[in-house]
Amino acid sequence: MKTDTYRGAITRAMRHAMEKNERTILFGQGVTDHVGILGTTLNLEKEFGSDRVFETPLAEDSMTGFALGASLSGLYPIHVHIRADFMLLAMNQLVNSIAKYRYMYGGLFATPMLIRSIVGRSWGQGAQHSQSLQALFAHIPGIYVVMPSSARTAYATYIYANSACASPVVSLEHRLLYDYSFDRKDDEDVIFYPFTSFRVRQGGDVTIVATSIMVEEAIRAANYVKEMTGLDAEIIDLHCISHPDENLIIESVRKTGRLIVADTGWESFGVCAEIARIIATREPNVLRAPIKCLSLAKAPCPTAHRLEHWYYPDMANLVDSIYSLCFDRFDHGKQLPSEEYVKEVHKTFKGPF
Amino acid sequence: MTVSHKNMLRDALRIRMVEEKIIELYPSDVIQSPVHLSIGQELHTVALMSLLQTTDRVFTTYRSHAAYLAKGGDLNLMFAELYGKQTGIAKGKAGSMHLCHPSTGLMGSSAIVGAVFSHATGAAYADKLKKNGDIVLCLTGEGATEEGTFHECLNFSALKQLPLVYVIENNGLAINIPLECRQSYRLEALARAYQIPYAHIEDSFNIDTIIAAARPLIEQARSASKPAVIEIATYRYKEHVGVSCDHNRKHRDASAITMWEKRDPLIVDRDLDAYRDEITAEILEAVCFAEKSEFPDHDELLKDVY
Repeated sequence: MKTDTYRGAITRAMRHAMEKNERTILFGQGVTDHVGILGTTLNLEKEFGSDRVFETPLAEDSMTGFALGASLSGLYPIHVHIRADFMLLAMNQLVNSIAKYRYMYGGLFATPMLIRSIVGRSWGQGAQHSQSLQALFAHIPGIYVVMPSSARTAYATYIYANSACASPVVSLEHRLLYDYSFDRKDDEDVIFYPFTSFRVRQGGDVTIVATSIMVEEAIRAANYVKEMTGLDAEIIDLHCISHPDENLIIESVRKTGRLIVADTGWESFGVCAEIARIIATREPNVLRAPIKCLSLAKAPCPTAHRLEHWYYPDMANLVDSIYSLCFDRFDHGKQLPSEEYVKEVHKTFKGPF
Repeated sequence: MTVSHKNMLRDALRIRMVEEKIIELYPSDVIQSPVHLSIGQELHTVALMSLLQTTDRVFTTYRSHAAYLAKGGDLNLMFAELYGKQTGIAKGKAGSMHLCHPSTGLMGSSAIVGAVFSHATGAAYADKLKKNGDIVLCLTGEGATEEGTFHECLNFSALKQLPLVYVIENNGLAINIPLECRQSYRLEALARAYQIPYAHIEDSFNIDTIIAAARPLIEQARSASKPAVIEIATYRYKEHVGVSCDHNRKHRDASAITMWEKRDPLIVDRDLDAYRDEITAEILEAVCFAEKSEFPDHDELLKDVY
């Protein structure tokens, strides 16, 4: 089967947006340098001109307002942040202007745009290069917040946003997914409605609602558990954090009676809290056991490798949670996957970017 | 006095009378939101807008009434908006602080001080890319220039040579705080640091002075795609927000308002009285339109939100 990397899919989506939509402008710190936002914007300036692909001063807030002004004028801005943490400098424009422009003016304006940002993780990204702030963005009415977990969802989301969507979209990509290879189906380039959630694995024993890289971790954990015990986990890729498919989640938990939420952010007031709210306010009696949440330790991200290892939930934590829920006890006594197994993917990551 | 001068004075008087109507209506609570009046600052707004074309676009602040009317905003839709009615320009969702009128080029009014600098910058970038010969005018108070984004936008608009004119109305007050407590810089020097042409308009009641200073910069923005900064010394007659006077408060010099009023053509030019009846009739019609209009339905609550 053909494969596609996350990086490859995003790169194709950027080229597609520039080629097929002459209104697209692409800007941000580093979009024209030799790194080219981890390769996703390489050569685009040369090909499409420096009027459409350009560097920005270090002025995140103003360049976000700039995107709004350009969007109001019929352009399609793609604004890229090499780290999602930098978007905190753009919160004023994002929250006070962009999210409100259509509503506040009674629908007179449309503000289509895509804001791409990358969540860092591992190899000492530290407290200010690793934050996963989807909960902050998704709290605000008026924007779509997505976290693509695969090449296919990243590609479809970006093409849909660029060609068929009049609203602002904030995307949080994950640095560690960039080198993942995904099986590429023949219908890879079929564009589907992206502002929702997707079931990525069927199973009847436990539901895992996951975001971003935790979807991959959940798939690996589910495959491991299936092999070891025959238990089948159902996995929902939440994907659109701001507009999840609540019915999909409820239906799944109605079937399994058990729920794990695996998120890349902090637990309180975040995705874990939100999914628990959906269940608790809509159909609390579907649960046969308390919800399990896997999220970051409630601290800023430490740089030291040893501490970082404890900071992030991983596949072993997921397997442990599945066993605890399905065997109805904390000390289930089952073998967890070995350190080597867990490390396989992301803990080998190195590199300044 | 030329015909166009008379027209500008008439348009400025119309804005004054609209706001005086708002003052009259305000205690009855038919306008249930904050209003920031432009009284004292109307004439230069009208004069500057007279140098623009309909397709030129304007971004401004919550003190938006003067810019809205001077840029051709519809008076009926404005009063309906202030009344919170479905027929308002933004179906009542904007109110006084967020007037807009895209069909004549008013693209928005922000209550976040300084937010519109970058919106105007983005819009001007689009104009430059499209080579459509349009320019963007960004109208804010001097307090907004204290925000970091002003520096960021001067930098970017100079870097990209954008067709954009920043007009800074310097009324000396940010809410109630005088300029000398807030600013260490002069705007002219700041503009010069970015090699952006700057003009200072000392007399905001003199149409000839305003036009003479602003026209070359606006034309240069249009013909040569260059940004500019225009600073206007002006005076806010009313309190920051609301319809009362506050010149007897400690932050204001009570004698200053008398000096401004003595020179204010909208007060001293008695020839303008000839326009009052027709303007009054137009305002009454707009108020009547607003009063007769319906409030939004419940359906409107969640419309136009993604």
